[in-house]
Amino acid sequence: MLSAQDLPQPFDRKLAHALPLRPGTDHLKAAPALAAFGFLTACVGPQSALDPAGRDAETLADLFFWLVAGAVVLWVLMNGLMFYAWRAKPRPISPKTGRWLIFGGGIVFPTVVLAGLLSYGLSVIPDQRAPGEGLRVEITGEQWWFRVAYWPEGATEPIHSANEVVFPVGQRSELTLKADQVIHSFWLPSLAGKTDMIPGRVNRMSLEPTEPGEFRGQCAEYCGESHAWMAFTALTLMPEEFDAFLQDLAAPAVPPDTEVGQAGRTAFMAHGCGGCHTIRGTPARGNVGPDLTHVGSRLNLAAGALDVTVPDLAAWITDPKAIKAGAKMPAYDHLDPDEIVAMAVYLEGLK
Amino acid sequence: MKRLDLRSVFYTLAALAVLCAIGGLSVVGLGLYNVSARAGHFPGVPLILHTTYNQSVKLRAVSEDEVPEFTEPMVALGAKHFDAACRVCHSAPGHDKTATMEAMVPEPPHITAAVEGWQPRHLHWILYEGVKMSGMPHWPADRPDEVWPTVAFLEAVQNGMTEQRYDALTAVEKGDPRSFYYCASCHNANGVSGNQRIPRLDILSEEYMTRALLAYRSGARDSGYMEHAASEVPVAQLPAFAKQFAALPATGEAGPTTSLTIAGERIAMEGVPGSDVPACAACHGPWSEPIDPAYPSLSGQYRPYLEDQLRLWREGVRGGTRVARLMHQAATRLTDAQIEAVSAWYAARQPAKIDVLPELSD
Repeated sequence: MLSAQDLPQPFDRKLAHALPLRPGTDHLKAAPALAAFGFLTACVGPQSALDPAGRDAETLADLFFWLVAGAVVLWVLMNGLMFYAWRAKPRPISPKTGRWLIFGGGIVFPTVVLAGLLSYGLSVIPDQRAPGEGLRVEITGEQWWFRVAYWPEGATEPIHSANEVVFPVGQRSELTLKADQVIHSFWLPSLAGKTDMIPGRVNRMSLEPTEPGEFRGQCAEYCGESHAWMAFTALTLMPEEFDAFLQDLAAPAVPPDTEVGQAGRTAFMAHGCGGCHTIRGTPARGNVGPDLTHVGSRLNLAAGALDVTVPDLAAWITDPKAIKAGAKMPAYDHLDPDEIVAMAVYLEGLK
Repeated sequence: MKRLDLRSVFYTLAALAVLCAIGGLSVVGLGLYNVSARAGHFPGVPLILHTTYNQSVKLRAVSEDEVPEFTEPMVALGAKHFDAACRVCHSAPGHDKTATMEAMVPEPPHITAAVEGWQPRHLHWILYEGVKMSGMPHWPADRPDEVWPTVAFLEAVQNGMTEQRYDALTAVEKGDPRSFYYCASCHNANGVSGNQRIPRLDILSEEYMTRALLAYRSGARDSGYMEHAASEVPVAQLPAFAKQFAALPATGEAGPTTSLTIAGERIAMEGVPGSDVPACAACHGPWSEPIDPAYPSLSGQYRPYLEDQLRLWREGVRGGTRVARLMHQAATRLTDAQIEAVSAWYAARQPAKIDVLPELSD
């Protein structure tokens, strides 16, 4: 059996990755390199509005590129005129030509350009809010994680999950966005735009992935001390894969068939974990924290703060606040470390 | 007339100050003040001290609105506590003071005289705060809420409690006063106190009660009643009491189902969705799997006791063992109505222990 001493310290590793500027670095020297790095990473990757993998994100990327291109043209034009006026020393123009230039270039031209851009910008909004085509996903911002409930077409009961959202490719999914205590914002830049989650309100949006892949979303509204640790994973699957995924997700938990896993299950049920967490197929049906029925098959733990591994799970159970400031789950460091590891093995085995 | 010389005034005052300081230091340092109780106070001093005491209490007592309604179980609990902790100085209704206490300075008044002229809110202040340099201790725990049952008893004394009634309320089974019978004088030998203000112990586990007693003894959990009781016996004896109570079978019947208990059942079994209130049953039963014996069973526990404790948890002042933080987190967002409902449901359940955890295999 694993013992607590064998475990690495997962949060140290995480923190080291998360800090862009490490202590002791000469920040001034590092700045240009970091800036260049920043520009490049913003263009591609699992969390980029410029690398779209969804119909809505494509529209937004198009909007962005059109606006940037237009801005570049205008910038060159304006600076060209300024250069002409100051440096090329042109001959004076007649007052009549001057009046036409001011009227044409100062009123007519901006009106036409801005009206064009405005109509273009407004015209893409309805598409972002088009109704979904079957699947509805209800996502609730909690401090600091995402509660996820899938409502397939015609469902009378949702299928619960957390910190991971899966969408079918080529279908428009409806998103219902809520918040528990404070304002959060749902932002999955690779697939769609951003929508706030507000307590006491139900917001909606929709999105349509165009290709399969794994993406990263992030809470985009400051929501308290662990706002920066509030992320989620989005997965887009081909429709038949998605149906299989939902079917698996709806099934009750399959506990690991090992002695340690069984001991972990006993410990989980004995220490009151079921008061806050649900594991379908067991007496645990709490509703405060994330549903853990298939936590072992999820792509991240603690809203992107950790990985779903035995050491990470054990570290989280031992002292959540050490990993995520202000986490609502109390520490269980009064338990025997072997018992905590057994629980971690059990949870990691819930595929 | 000679003009006042400021310099000589200053030197005279300075010399006087030095003389006073020397005089004062001599009284303290050379033992010139006679602390003899036999010698008593100088004339007039008792009047000054007593007036200071009276006025100080009246200025600081809690407001009339904070005085709860007194009930018979409160009087009974207060009487038992008075008998254990206060009687030694103040005697009891219908009983005489001991000669030793009569020789105390200041002399503690007999309880029937001590309560005269005070309102409950004043008595609460005196019991909770105590009186400096009079021999009257303050309440041993940081729990103003639990002083009221003893105030309820004192009010009953004001209303003319008889010797027979007092003796009936405080009767103790014969035996070593520092034995199980001491515990049983409040909690009853079968663990069922029969008093809504005194928790029943027949449903609790040995581990939970041992931890609770040690927490009372160390001051980690606050209760003037239990901290007094737990400090009256040798600490090594506490686990034996826990074992003895834990060995008792849970007895008694379930109460009726009401709309309040139905609401409470939902909270206990499912928590409060959207309100971060966990399901109580996962730690306190009913639960279909073994539960950590460090968690108490609540099935059949008295409702006023449960309500008091839940309020203390919610306020964050309920101490206990290291698992107390779990309960602080769980109770943070309970409303008064939810506390009442869930307490009513557990109180109405068939009294029962919860299953305990088998040893985990290594």
